[in-house]
Amino acid sequence: MKDLTIRNLSKTYFDPYAGTNVTAVHDVSLKVEQGEFVCIVGPSGCGKTTILNMIAGFIPHTGGEILVGGRPVKGPGPDRGVVFQSFALFPWRTVLENVAFGPKMRGVRKVEREKIAHEFLALAKLTEAAGRYPNELSGGMQQRVGVVRALANEPDVLLMDEPFASVDAQTRMTLQEELTRIWQEKRPTVIFITHDVAEAVFLANRVVALSKGRVLEEIDVDLPRPRSWDALNDDARFKELSGRVLQLVRSA
Amino acid sequence: MKQFLLNIWSHCVRLNARWPSIGSIAPFIPVIAAWWIVTELQIFPRAFLPGPAEVVRSFGSLVYMGILPAYLQDSLVRLAVGTFWGIALGIPLGILVGLSQRARTALWPLLLFFQAIGDIAWLPILVIWFGYGLTTITVVIVYTVIFPVVLNTVLGVRSIPITLHRAAQSLGASRIRILWEVVLPGALPNILTGLRNGLGYGWRALIATEIIVGTSGIGFLMFDARRSGSVVEILLGMIILGILWYIVDSWILAPIERATGQRWGLVTR
Repeated sequence: MKDLTIRNLSKTYFDPYAGTNVTAVHDVSLKVEQGEFVCIVGPSGCGKTTILNMIAGFIPHTGGEILVGGRPVKGPGPDRGVVFQSFALFPWRTVLENVAFGPKMRGVRKVEREKIAHEFLALAKLTEAAGRYPNELSGGMQQRVGVVRALANEPDVLLMDEPFASVDAQTRMTLQEELTRIWQEKRPTVIFITHDVAEAVFLANRVVALSKGRVLEEIDVDLPRPRSWDALNDDARFKELSGRVLQLVRSA
Repeated sequence: MKQFLLNIWSHCVRLNARWPSIGSIAPFIPVIAAWWIVTELQIFPRAFLPGPAEVVRSFGSLVYMGILPAYLQDSLVRLAVGTFWGIALGIPLGILVGLSQRARTALWPLLLFFQAIGDIAWLPILVIWFGYGLTTITVVIVYTVIFPVVLNTVLGVRSIPITLHRAAQSLGASRIRILWEVVLPGALPNILTGLRNGLGYGWRALIATEIIVGTSGIGFLMFDARRSGSVVEILLGMIILGILWYIVDSWILAPIERATGQRWGLVTR
């Protein structure tokens, strides 16, 4: 696990229909320490997914720099694990093979990589599902596999793009609690994108409020861990922090 | 009466559940019965429309003389050779066109143009170039098989969600491994559809080509029978075509589809 530094990041692209340049991300700077959990929160179209895609290396940035452990990002790579909103599991691979995919690409032997995969599946209570295909699992289970698949490759930074947006509300709460538990156990460096203010405050050490491609404010979340919804639902500090973030995001 | 029919129906359902192959034979029973009745009633002269029994007898004698097995083998080998090359050329070409915008711009109009010149339309010039032989037949089948395979492979490659490419990349997969781990399996259901269409067209093209240039094969058997006025053998040839296609589809193509696209949830059952 390493730290992540973003300096004056910007993204401008040419819109052929409007015939003008559009700036999706303006001069964003952010420092994420090793083992920190940072949530970027903002409404649709605020540029949060664009930022994540640039960090992942899926799309090029047009200004500034992105450094992972001091080294600049050039294209996608296994040092940055990604969890997708649409899960993006390989339908033709079993759950076990999906989780073992990263180690397989690194050239880890079959016995060894299956051991790693089983270990991580156990972490997310997925041992039973190892031999099944993704389409046989519920959405919540699929995204557990998605998270564990990214972690099993031991990336320096874990990038999560609205990973729980397409599961039902109850499952989402369970997944959020499990994610905080797994994070505490493994302490990966995480950047988590969401539009859900309560989710951001629940998960993060620090929440970055984003609007129209600019960082509005960074808010430290000093809630104790382990966190659970039962405890935090009526917590005054949690309500205060969520209220502040919500106000920020809505006012902009 | 109603109860009686219901009893028969439930009996059929149970029988079908126990021996599924009976279910696929059952629809042919009324067809054969109707054929048999029409010939027994002598509506058409016997020489024009022989009955099922005569066709079965003719099948027996042609097998006995060794003609039918030899012709069948010739036809199947030609189809297999043609299909092999059709797949070997079609899938890589389809993947190239599906993945590369540049290749698509350059090759798509050509593909559509040559697709329009049907397989048989090539026969006159192929006969001049290669004569009446295996080369001509193979070229026609490759030509027929390749277009559905290419076009469906392109469709399959392009329908793979970009997130799967990205997921593989961020898990450390190289371009070549992505080809093997993502592009090929992702496009496989469509490739199989293309193959099914291609084989179907190829089978027809083979028969047509054998009629024109062949010296053996099922198509030749049928055309040769016409020369001697043997309607029995023509009917036999037609029935063999149908049965063979059924076997190829239900014993080779359908099991592959069940084991891949359906298993993975890419195709609804």
